[in-house]
Amino acid sequence: MSVYLEGVLALMGINILMALSVYAILTTDQLSLGNAGFMAIGAYTSAYLTVKSGVPLLPAILAGAIVSSIVGLLVAIPVLRLKGIYLVMATLGFGEIVRTFFMNFEPTGGAYGFRGPSGATLPLIYGWVLAALFFFWLLTRSRLGRSLDAVRDDPEVASTVGLHVTLLKIGAFGLGAFIAGAAGGLYAHYMFYIESNNFNFLVSAMAILFVILGGMETFWGAVVGAIIFSILPEALRFMKDWRLSLYGAVLVSMMIFRPSGILTRQMIRDLGEWFERIFRSARTEDA
Amino acid sequence: MLEILTVSKNFGGLIALDQVNLQLPPNKTYGLIGPNGAGKTTLFNLITGLLPVSGGAIHFQGQELTALPPHRITRLGIARTFQNIRLFPTMTVLENVLVAQNIHTRSGITSLFQFKAQGDRKLREEAETLLQQMGLWPKRKELSSSLAYGEQRRLEIARALALEPSLLLLDEPAAGMNEAESEELLDRIQEIRKMGKTVFLIEHDMSVVMGICDYISVLNFGKLIAQGTPDEIQANESVIEAYLGREEK
Amino acid sequence: MFLQQLINGLMLGSTYSLIAMGYTLVLGVLQMLNIAHGDVFMFGAFLGLTFALLGIPLYWALLLAMLGAGIISILVERFCFRPLRKAHFLGPLLSTIAFGILLQNVATQIWGSEPSRYPQTTEIAQFQLGPILISSIHIIILATSLFLMVAIDQLVKRTRMGRAMRATSENQTNASLLGVDIFWVFTFTFFASGAMAGVAGVLTALVYLQITPFIGIRQGLIGMVAMVIGGLGNLRGAMIGGILIGIMEVMNDAYLTAGYRDMIVFGLFFLFLIFKPEGLFGTTSRES
Repeated sequence: MSVYLEGVLALMGINILMALSVYAILTTDQLSLGNAGFMAIGAYTSAYLTVKSGVPLLPAILAGAIVSSIVGLLVAIPVLRLKGIYLVMATLGFGEIVRTFFMNFEPTGGAYGFRGPSGATLPLIYGWVLAALFFFWLLTRSRLGRSLDAVRDDPEVASTVGLHVTLLKIGAFGLGAFIAGAAGGLYAHYMFYIESNNFNFLVSAMAILFVILGGMETFWGAVVGAIIFSILPEALRFMKDWRLSLYGAVLVSMMIFRPSGILTRQMIRDLGEWFERIFRSARTEDA
Repeated sequence: MLEILTVSKNFGGLIALDQVNLQLPPNKTYGLIGPNGAGKTTLFNLITGLLPVSGGAIHFQGQELTALPPHRITRLGIARTFQNIRLFPTMTVLENVLVAQNIHTRSGITSLFQFKAQGDRKLREEAETLLQQMGLWPKRKELSSSLAYGEQRRLEIARALALEPSLLLLDEPAAGMNEAESEELLDRIQEIRKMGKTVFLIEHDMSVVMGICDYISVLNFGKLIAQGTPDEIQANESVIEAYLGREEK
Repeated sequence: MFLQQLINGLMLGSTYSLIAMGYTLVLGVLQMLNIAHGDVFMFGAFLGLTFALLGIPLYWALLLAMLGAGIISILVERFCFRPLRKAHFLGPLLSTIAFGILLQNVATQIWGSEPSRYPQTTEIAQFQLGPILISSIHIIILATSLFLMVAIDQLVKRTRMGRAMRATSENQTNASLLGVDIFWVFTFTFFASGAMAGVAGVLTALVYLQITPFIGIRQGLIGMVAMVIGGLGNLRGAMIGGILIGIMEVMNDAYLTAGYRDMIVFGLFFLFLIFKPEGLFGTTSRES
C-alpha cells in the first residue's frame, strides 16, 4: 500500500471517530461545537505519556480518552444547564479554551508543538473504529439506546416516564469526549507532531459537517459522511482546490432539501428488516 | 394518597394557582374541572415535578414531592398523559411502551450487553398485553407519529400504564373524541380502576366526568371553588356561574 | 503609557464592537446565530484590499467593501436562514457553519492562503496629544466605528425599519399580521449586519496590515464573546462589550504575557455563559 493511500485511510479512520463523537452527543439532541478540544486533550495526554513517560501506546491512548471523557463529564455538568444557543456557544468556548491552553502549556511544547508521538498503524486505528461501531450497534439495540432516543425526542416527557434526563445527557457528553479523545491520541501517534492549531474550531466544524452529510439520525450516517469527505478529495482530484467550497455548497443545499442527511433511520430500519428476512428465508431453506 | 397542601403557583405577576387544598385518598376516580386557564394542567405539572411550586407542598403516600425531579416522582408511582398528546415521534409504538418500562429494570450501560435476559422477556410480554388491550399490537412496528389521533391517545395511556403507577393523571383524555370513543374511554378507566389504581383526570367533557368520577374538584382562576360528588357539583351555584356562557360537549 | 494603551484598546475594541453588533442584530431580530458572520467580515477585508489595490481611495473602498459584505450576508440569509427558519433552530446554525467554510475556500482560491499585505493608501499623520500618540489610522477607525454604531443604534430605535425589526423580533407572525414585510426585515437585518462586518474587516486590516482567509474565525469568535458579555440581543451591550475586550486585550499584551490573551477572552466567554448568561447589560432576546 502506498504511503499516500495509507495516509488517506488513516485520516479517514480518525475522521470517522470524530464524526461519531459528534453523533454521540447528538443522540440527546445537543450540539457540541468543541469536540476538537476533547481531541486535543486525548492527543496531548497520550503523547505526553508515550514520549515523556514511556507508557506503551494502547494504554496511553486509552488514558487520553479517559482523561478527555472525565473533562467532558465535568464540563457537561454546568454546561448542560444551558439551553439552545447558550449551550452551543459554551461548547464552542470550551473548545477554544482548550486550544489556547495547549498553545501556552510549556510541558507539551506550547506554541512550538509536541514532537515525537508515533506508533499508530492502520490496524490500530481501525481497531478503535470497529470497537466504536460495535459499541454503537449494541447501543442502538439496548434499553439505554431507547432512553437516549426518548430524551432526544422530548426531554420533558422523557423525565415523566422515569428517565434521568440530566444524567443521560451528561453521559452522552462523556461518551463523545471519550471517542474524540481516542481520535486525538491516534492522530497524535500517526502524525508524529501535534500543535494546538491542529485542534481548532474548523476541526470541530468539519466533524459536524460529516454527520450532517451522512445523516444525523443513525450512527451509520456519521460513518458514511466521514468516509465521503475523506475519499471524495481523491475522486475529485481535478477540483481539489475547490472541494471545500463544494462541501460547503452541498451541505447548505442538504440542509434545505434533505436535512436528515443521506442515511435516514427509516432506511436503516428497512435495511435491518431486509437482512432479517434474508436470514429467515435462508434458515427455512435449510430446514 | 395524594395531598395537595395550600399549593400556590405564580408566573411572575400571574397567579396560576392560589392556595389550593386537595386530599385524594386512594382507590377512587377523581375529576378536576374548570374553565380554560383555570390552572388545571398547571396543577398536574406541579404534581409531576415539571414545575416548581411557589408555595405550599405536595405529598404522595407520605412522601414529599415538592422538591423532587420528575423522574423520581414517576418512580414513586405517578404517571401522566398530556393534554396535547406527547409521544416520542421517532420511536415506534412498541418502543414508546418499552422505554417506559426502563424504570423497572437495569437500563444503564450494562443494558448494552443484555440480549434476551429473563427479565426482558417478562417485560416484553407485559408490553404486548398492554398494547393488545389498547388494540395497538398490530401497529406495534409503526412510528407513533403515524397513528390516528384516537390511537395516539390510547398509546399514551398504554405508555403511562407501562410505568405501573399507583396514581394515574390523565389530562383531557377525551379531547377530540366522539361519543363512541368516549364510551370506550370510560370502560378503559373502569378497567384501570379495577387494577387497583387511582385515577385523577382533567376533563371538559361533562358526560365523561359525571359518568365516571367519584369525586370532583372545580378550579376557577386558580382557586378551588367547589368539591364534591357529581350530584353536588351539578347543583353548586358557583360552579354553574363559573361555566355560565360556556359551551359544553 | 497607560493612556496610550487605552486608546489602542479603544480602537481595536471598536472593530470588535462592529462585529458583535452584527451578531446581535441577527440574533436579536431573527433568533439565529450566524456563524458565517466572521467569514463575511473576512470577505469585507479582502474586498477592501482589492479595491485599495485598484487604487481606489480609502473611503470609497470602505463603502464598496461595506456594500459587498452586506450583499454576501444577504446570500447567507437566502440560503441558510430563510428556507430553514421554521425548522429546528439548529438548522440555520449548521448551515452557516457550512457557508462559512465555503466563503473561506472561495477567498483562498481568489486571494491565496498566504497573508496578503494591505497597501498604504492614505498618508499616516501622527499627532501628539499630551502623552498620547494618535495616528490618523486611530482616528479613522474610531470615527468610522462610532459613526456606524450610533447610526445602527438610532436606526433600530427611531426609524420605521427599526420598529419593524423590533416587532419582528417579538413575534414574526404578529408582525406580519400588523403589516410588516418580515422578509424585507430579514434581508435588511442581514445586510446591515454584514455591512458592519465588512467595515470592521477593512478597519481591522488597517490595524494589522495583513490578512488571510482565516482571520474571520478568530475575529468572529471574539465578536461572539463581546456579544455575550454585553448581553445577547442588546445592541448597546455589544458595543460596550467589544470595547471592553479590545481594551482588555491590549492591556494583557502590555502588562502580561501575550500568549494567555486568547485564553482569558475565551475563559471569560465560558464563565459568562455559565454564570451570567444575561451579560453585563441584560439580554433582550428570547430563548431559542
